Amino acid sequence: MPDIIDILDEILENLRKTGGVEACAAVSRDGLLIRGIIQKQQFAESFAAMAATMLGAAETATIELGKGVPNRVIVESDQGKLIAVGAGPKALLIVLVDSNTGLGLILLELEKAALKVKELLT
Amino acid sequence: MIETGIPKLDEFLGGGMPKGKSLVYFIQPGVEGEVFGMQTVYSALKNGRNCIFVVSSTIPDIIRGQFKEFGWDINSYNETFFCVDAYDPLIGAPSKEKYVVSNPESIEEFSKMIINIIKDSPPTTIVFGSLSTIIDLCGEKETISAVRDWNKMAMLYDHVMIYNFTAWPYSEETLNSIKGDLFNAVISIGGIAERVIFGQYFGILKSDWTKEIKKSMLFRVLRPGGIKLYIPKILVTGPFDSGKTTFVHALSTRAISVDRLGTTIALDHGHVDYKGFSADIFGTPGQERFDPIIKLLSGESMGVFLIVDSTNPTDFVRAKQMLEITKSYGLPMVVVANKQDLPGAMAPEEIRKQFNLPQDIPIVSVVATDKKGVFEAFEVLIDKITEGRI
Repeated sequence: MPDIIDILDEILENLRKTGGVEACAAVSRDGLLIRGIIQKQQFAESFAAMAATMLGAAETATIELGKGVPNRVIVESDQGKLIAVGAGPKALLIVLVDSNTGLGLILLELEKAALKVKELLT
Repeated sequence: MIETGIPKLDEFLGGGMPKGKSLVYFIQPGVEGEVFGMQTVYSALKNGRNCIFVVSSTIPDIIRGQFKEFGWDINSYNETFFCVDAYDPLIGAPSKEKYVVSNPESIEEFSKMIINIIKDSPPTTIVFGSLSTIIDLCGEKETISAVRDWNKMAMLYDHVMIYNFTAWPYSEETLNSIKGDLFNAVISIGGIAERVIFGQYFGILKSDWTKEIKKSMLFRVLRPGGIKLYIPKILVTGPFDSGKTTFVHALSTRAISVDRLGTTIALDHGHVDYKGFSADIFGTPGQERFDPIIKLLSGESMGVFLIVDSTNPTDFVRAKQMLEITKSYGLPMVVVANKQDLPGAMAPEEIRKQFNLPQDIPIVSVVATDKKGVFEAFEVLIDKITEGRI
């Protein structure tokens, strides 16, 4: 049991080390924080709930419209970006990125991490 | 009665531990369990009792530092708190403590020290920081038989004995006697992983002075703060304009909402800290067009608040429908009869009739705008949630 948490922490730690990533977390599909690396820990739960809702709403919308499951949700603002990707049927991953980093490498790393989390939690 | 200081546990134990009894915190490896013994120490000191902490896994100064991390100032209890140092002699370091076990690898030395303390001290709460370390140093059979003696002596001299024990793979015999007849009470502390949430729980395996209780509680360890009971998800649902968002905000220490024009479109999320409990509250939208989102958010809830507008009986049909959407049937539930201050509000019992609610679902009168009844509803739901789970 503790092993899963350790592995999850390591996946998140690696993700966090990618240039430009400010915070990242693994969240259950229904909005509960599983593990996260976030500076303002007291906001972590809300952050998790919001991100799960965003991805869930996006999935519902695209599926209803006959466009399949979205690969990810990216929210861009002047101060930064928030990305949420599904990681298997039980979880999703979210990262917070600063404003002046390109997304290429981050999306790649995120995809890899999501695959690992999917393996881990199914 | 001596309190253990763990929220809800004292209540489960009928007020705490009677003098002369022994209790073990039976901890699964990998779970933060040592804090249980420490929280018991602090609670005993705060209640003006004498306390002795047997340190065998690290130097006493580090333990004192750990107490500080939890925000428990034990240094002001110089007169009533003492450590038994069973670590420094192992590494050949000098000890500053009043009691020192000169050779912690010898159970005879250990026993001599403990028995002396038991005989010479006024009624004291004696807490062993790590029984497993003593077993590792002195051997399984030897330690078990020594503990048996200590507990007997403690009974004679009215002490309370508390042990932290981490359940490493010892022999079946050792584990069975620790879970079985060695102690008056066994509190099991473990982790859950089969669902997505990685939680930690404690529950009473046995206690010979209370009726059998099959209850268990999820908890988190906070620094500072210690053990807080934790409920990862409570759902707040109900028809449009029944006051769900107001309720979430009234109850929460901090809360955020995603709403437009006064109606929730995605969710309300709130965090509650109340009477040793912490809980995360998820409020759903009420309007039918958001039903897909409601479905999405409602998984894994441990309890449900169903909010209804007491002045509006037509609400009840939709309320029932929402219980179906959120798959809330069978979960612990409290019906919150909101807007009790408005003219024409129905009394809870009238609502029960209209709604056809079974007697075992509590209805609480609430005025969410004035925070009236909000925490009563929370307590009622908590009671429902802790009832009968294991």
